[in-house]
Amino acid sequence: MTYINQRKYYTNDGVSPTNANWGSYQYVSLEDVVRNFELMYAGNHELINNQNRYQILFHAKRGIQELNYDAFKEIKALELTVYDDLRFILPSDYVNWVKLYLLKDNVLRELTENIQVQSAVSYIQSTTDTFAYDTDGTATEVESLLDSERKDGSLKSIYLNDDIDGATDPNVLYIDNDLYNYKIGARYGLNTETANINPTFTIDKKAGVINFDSTMANQQCVLQYISDGMENGDDSKISVNKLFEEYIYAYIRYAILNSKFGVQEYIVNRARKDKQALLRNAKIRLSNIHPSRLLMNLRGENKWLK
Amino acid sequence: MINSVRNTVLAIINKNNYGYISPGDFNLFAKQAQLDIFDEYFIRYNQQINEENARISGTGYADIKKGYEEVIDTFSITSFLTQKTGNVYYLPSQSTTGSDYYLLNKVLCFSDGNLKGEAEKVSHSKITMLNSSLLTSPSTIFPAYTQEADEITIFPNTFNGINDVQAQYIRYPLDPKWTYVTLYGGEPLFDQTQNDYQDFELPIDDANNLVAKILQYAGISIREADVFQFGQIEEQDQNRNNI
Repeated sequence: MTYINQRKYYTNDGVSPTNANWGSYQYVSLEDVVRNFELMYAGNHELINNQNRYQILFHAKRGIQELNYDAFKEIKALELTVYDDLRFILPSDYVNWVKLYLLKDNVLRELTENIQVQSAVSYIQSTTDTFAYDTDGTATEVESLLDSERKDGSLKSIYLNDDIDGATDPNVLYIDNDLYNYKIGARYGLNTETANINPTFTIDKKAGVINFDSTMANQQCVLQYISDGMENGDDSKISVNKLFEEYIYAYIRYAILNSKFGVQEYIVNRARKDKQALLRNAKIRLSNIHPSRLLMNLRGENKWLK
Repeated sequence: MINSVRNTVLAIINKNNYGYISPGDFNLFAKQAQLDIFDEYFIRYNQQINEENARISGTGYADIKKGYEEVIDTFSITSFLTQKTGNVYYLPSQSTTGSDYYLLNKVLCFSDGNLKGEAEKVSHSKITMLNSSLLTSPSTIFPAYTQEADEITIFPNTFNGINDVQAQYIRYPLDPKWTYVTLYGGEPLFDQTQNDYQDFELPIDDANNLVAKILQYAGISIREADVFQFGQIEEQDQNRNNI
């Protein structure tokens, strides 16, 4: 195992994809993490011995997953078209969302999450407790009124009124109508936190989809999300930023010592403190707080506010 | 070394005309003694590691563990394993790799001639769960194997070529054989030019141990308790010196 030369880095020696190694120096592979841990921290004279490799591998992957959830800031983005069914299927490696955008008229518009329910299951029903069942005794599902109204656009929004602002007659003073029926954004009691003209969405985690209101039909949607870094199970592609390399070793060491029988409490505590300190250090490093950047921010301190 | 060991054993036994050991018996006792001492190397090696952890062992010329490792490594063999079918391979044996294994130390997995990873031995009680686990199922770079009878099964089963699995193992020492030519009316005369001649494979400093061990077996064989006890005391002295 050697470092790759610059030709390999820039061109991958002509093998497709030629950009495979770009930026690779920032990362250390899972294979290296496990190998280095076995060499340096596990053995006859180390704190950890007689440990199965699959246990080390498990803790290494768990550590990388945890880092991907927040500390790494490795945000992925996926753009898809939302069709008439107003759904955006969550990516295969989706764990949590960061931001959702509507790409329209060459502008990225950040969308607001609708806190109201936007989708529901419904059964074929004739009375309160009379449902239609299939041969397995399961209640037969049918599209809910909520879903159909959301899709055909008849579902009212609590965020903005329906009528278009341009249709307001400036010559007629009809305050109630203006305030309550037009999208003028001034309704009394309006939730200003969420009020904007862009489509809204809710995420149905169990169903694995994002549901939109009807104004999102046939629009381009960009989802920013985080994954767990497991690269769909391909161990050879899993990696960790070098700024977190020492933390990962400390995490594995702590996780093993903490679950091992007969390890003295002070050793477990030492490993825990070590792990936490290294995580803090790595987060500070990754945050890229440079004096010059701080200086630029401070230049705004004497700005006049209107 | 085998001739000097035999001469020493005979010299001790013949004192007071206790008895005589035939070459056939000597070879049997020699084989048994060599196996005993070979086995003890691994136990002593472990003891030495414990002593190092207790900080009662030194480095440099005081590095006893290094000496044990050197002896054990003289029996090390690296060889591709013979494929039985698919991802199942035969363990090292006389018929496949040319020598029986005492300890399977390392199993390496190759693909298209390139080393992919070292396979980890997993018990049968774990392998089913391991294969079902998303995070830890064996992969090309982290393969695993289980052992059953004289076979090992490699996971994942993509390792299924003739030269896909290589093992580094510690073989058993070869059976020592003191060979001779028979003279008229006399004693057998040592002859190391014969094809089946085989010296001890243990280092020279084990000669004393071999003598002590063989004496114990011989003492029982000729029903002489004194010989047995002498061998036993000699062995204890040797072991005490080694600690």
